[in-house]
Amino acid sequence: MRVIWWLLTVVSVSLLSIILSQQRALDPLENLSLRITSPTEGGLRDLADPIAQLFEGIVDRGDLVRENQRLREELERLQAEAAAYQDAALRIQELEMALGVKQGRSQDQFLAADVVAQDSSGLKRTIAIDRGTSDGVDEGMVVLSPGGSLVGTVFQSYKGFSWVRLVTDPESAVNAQVLGGSPESQGGSEARGVAVGNLRQGLVLDMLPSDSQVSEGNLVITSGLGGNYPQTLLIGSVKAVEERPQAPFKRATLEPAADLWSLETVLVLTSFRPARLVGP
Amino acid sequence: MKYLVAFTALFLLAVLGVSAMPYVKVLGVTPDLVLVFAACWTVARGQGEALVVVPLAGVLRDLTTSDPLGTSVLALSPIVLLTATRALWIMESELVPTLLVVGAGSLGYGVLSMTVLAATGQEMPWADGLLRVVLPAAVVNALFTPIVYLPVRWLSPQPRPGLAGTAPSSR
Repeated sequence: MRVIWWLLTVVSVSLLSIILSQQRALDPLENLSLRITSPTEGGLRDLADPIAQLFEGIVDRGDLVRENQRLREELERLQAEAAAYQDAALRIQELEMALGVKQGRSQDQFLAADVVAQDSSGLKRTIAIDRGTSDGVDEGMVVLSPGGSLVGTVFQSYKGFSWVRLVTDPESAVNAQVLGGSPESQGGSEARGVAVGNLRQGLVLDMLPSDSQVSEGNLVITSGLGGNYPQTLLIGSVKAVEERPQAPFKRATLEPAADLWSLETVLVLTSFRPARLVGP
Repeated sequence: MKYLVAFTALFLLAVLGVSAMPYVKVLGVTPDLVLVFAACWTVARGQGEALVVVPLAGVLRDLTTSDPLGTSVLALSPIVLLTATRALWIMESELVPTLLVVGAGSLGYGVLSMTVLAATGQEMPWADGLLRVVLPAAVVNALFTPIVYLPVRWLSPQPRPGLAGTAPSSR
């Protein structure tokens, strides 16, 4: 009987908390949480890397011999290809300049923030940063990696910290375009689609025109459509293209440009006001 | 005192869960040590203490994630119900029942979390979520259970049967 009463109480209080949390009535409590724990988290994150390496070593021990042999063979092949890549590297540098990823954002203002937590539930792809409303961070603001590529957007902002939804989160959807993937029907303009997060594949470029010429390695950038992201932010590159006969659209799996799970510092783009903040 | 110990352990595990643990991925998921600890404490120390420790674990977990407050408290509550079946356990060893409670508790936690997130308007890919997160998490949490179970067992005052099912009188 006691357990039944306990259960009824817990369910009632939990549901009430969830509703209040949705109404932002519990913000003062939530605001305290990560501010208190972030110093401990900082230390633990510093310790995490060697622990993770050790863990990976234990898990993968059986594959080390085969892996070593494979790497030796791959090294030989890579050495032969190195000369060709030097030429390609020059080409990439030109593309980056053309995209404006490195040089075209000099007029923008950024706020540097440290990553203090990551969601580990697996159902979401989110990180917490140590900047909040007191630093001018607002929900909807765009977050970039130190290299200038897209990381995600702020979706919960508290006084002292904010939660950032990564581009690989199932809730994330970014209007994107593929460089060098122009469909015949669009007469030379770049192929456009929507980059959506996916628990299985990470990041998928959906809604691509079926006649678009997308191939592995093509760079994908924000198109700026919708006004929630500035144009020409690097999202990633095409990893694989899924051809679906008879389907009106194509899909492509993307490799995010930023290493989303090892980020320690990010840049919040404060000079760009997304359409969702500016309003109609 | 016992609740202070539980609080301290849960606090550290909750912080560990959002700082260092995301780097540890097995079957594509990160072990949830807060859930494992709550389940181990419940089995080792009885339902009476579980009524306090399980909500405490939920609150601490909620405060360190982006989920709405109350989600984890609700999602962890099946653990208490699972231990209500304790009288039915025929095994002398407590490790196997603990593994079952952790596995079943993880499934319940995953499904309830997804339900709450979906109810609060978040996009929830059910098939991928269940197959790629909830089910693997149940297995991975069970795999990590001995690491947490042994210290919790050691902290528990009453003599219990051994890990391999050995009765206390035979030790």
